[in-house]
Amino acid sequence: MDMDWKRNSQLLMIIFGIIGIMPLFFGSTNFIMHILIMCLIWSVVASCWDLIMGFAGIFSFGQVAFFVIGSYASAIISAKFSVPPIFAVILAGFVAGFLGVLVGLPCLKLKGAYIALVTFAVHMILEPVLKGDIGRAIGTGGSRGILTIAPMNILGYTFNSSDPVPYFYLMFFLAVASSFIILAVIKSHWGDAFLALKDSEQFATCLGVSAFKYKLIVFALTSFITGMIGGFYAHYVGMLSTRMLGIDLFVTLMVILVIGGVGKFPGAIVGSFITIALNEMLSPLGSYRPIILGAMVIVLVLLLPDGIVGLIQKIMPKKKSGKSLIA
Amino acid sequence: MLEIKNVTKKFGELTAVNNLSFTVEKGQVFGIAGPNGAGKSTLYNLITGLYPFEGSIKFEGKEIRGFPSHKIAKLGIARTFQIPQTFPSLTVKKSIAIGNYFGSDAEFDPAYVDEILKFVNLYDKQDEKTGQLKLLDKKMLMIAAALGTRPKILMLDEPMAGSNSKEILSLMELIKRINQDMGITIIIIEHFMKVLTELTSKLLIIETGTEICCGDPNDVTSDSRVIECYLGDGHD
Repeated sequence: MDMDWKRNSQLLMIIFGIIGIMPLFFGSTNFIMHILIMCLIWSVVASCWDLIMGFAGIFSFGQVAFFVIGSYASAIISAKFSVPPIFAVILAGFVAGFLGVLVGLPCLKLKGAYIALVTFAVHMILEPVLKGDIGRAIGTGGSRGILTIAPMNILGYTFNSSDPVPYFYLMFFLAVASSFIILAVIKSHWGDAFLALKDSEQFATCLGVSAFKYKLIVFALTSFITGMIGGFYAHYVGMLSTRMLGIDLFVTLMVILVIGGVGKFPGAIVGSFITIALNEMLSPLGSYRPIILGAMVIVLVLLLPDGIVGLIQKIMPKKKSGKSLIA
Repeated sequence: MLEIKNVTKKFGELTAVNNLSFTVEKGQVFGIAGPNGAGKSTLYNLITGLYPFEGSIKFEGKEIRGFPSHKIAKLGIARTFQIPQTFPSLTVKKSIAIGNYFGSDAEFDPAYVDEILKFVNLYDKQDEKTGQLKLLDKKMLMIAAALGTRPKILMLDEPMAGSNSKEILSLMELIKRINQDMGITIIIIEHFMKVLTELTSKLLIIETGTEICCGDPNDVTSDSRVIECYLGDGHD
């Protein structure tokens, strides 16, 4: 077994081991359980963003858009076609994944900031589409949003927001599964192809790596997982509006990545817990909160450009593996 | 083995490669030289599918015009770049594994990767990140990653640039071994005429994308058109 894989999966197990026992201490405090569920949600969304941006080097700014697409898709599919929420969530992943490929296609010819512009344009046009006639026609509820979304239901058991522990463990399972899928991808030949294309696309393609194939794979995979998590979010909170497309969530995810370390998976998971906890702790400061968070990002970028996980890696240098990753 | 016929590449008003035709035979070391901006590297970019062009390029009798780079690599055409290209996120060994995994139709073979590491003298540095390598090692790694694809033709773009005389000798030795021991056909772009006359069996000189002359390296280097192209028409 590859040492990197072993080391990273052990790290993931430690992180999720700690998170998994949280309900033992906070299970009776709904407010804290809600924060923990949101931490898990943002940890997966940020990890997907890290996969496409940090590993594949594609400056996609469409991550929140795919999350919102997934959440609306799951809410609409479950309401309009009476599909059980758990299947609606999976179908929402496919909807987001398909749209991810559609957005990825024009990005194949672009680089750097131009990809950021195209993907952010998708983010920008999503709000008027969801609020406008097209949105109303497909069931987004226009400006009002969707106010009643069926709660998650698995094998006859209906999850309830007033008892968040089962919701926590469902999201915990999704986060663990998503994180190990992301780790497996990073440590597979797909991950090597992403890194090679990021470092030198011309050289990588001349060595046989198909830029077309692997860039579309990363768009499809990250938007699929993000869309599924968006679907879970919709059924968990029970209502949706386009407010999520505001700058707050976008910036929060960016802060999570910066704190965790870009291209330093599982940094995004650590970053999400730190960022959300900080956000809550700073809430008494009111409007000063975003200013302090912004200042923290500047300081962290200057002092810890590789985030907290990058710092840990520097303190504890890894042993030489001597093993080929592609095996 | 490789047949270039009436190949032209224009960038707007500029003709980088102008109606160029030549053939590279199997097992040959074929040299390409010419002043800076002559279109040598552009020609490599056309052969490896990085740019579209007019004309025809056939590899082993098969037209490869319009093929994407990764498919051309799988057919057996590998190359290096004038400015050393490496993958700083990957180790030396993984960089070669990339070539063997993606660029070869044969199954991925870790033993072959080890063989290549030893062949280019990078075995002891296999776990180093490629960004930390010295210039010569970066060049060796580029060649090694290209060899990882199990190529039939290896196209080298100014491999001696920036090297001292000792490094040039070791690179020349390596190129000879790749050609003779591994049986790989070589195309080499180079400015050092001594390297070209020693290594190649056929030499093509181009200027502003057009062929000046092509033939035996000793004849070509003494051709008055070539001397004029390098030194200008006022030379003695």
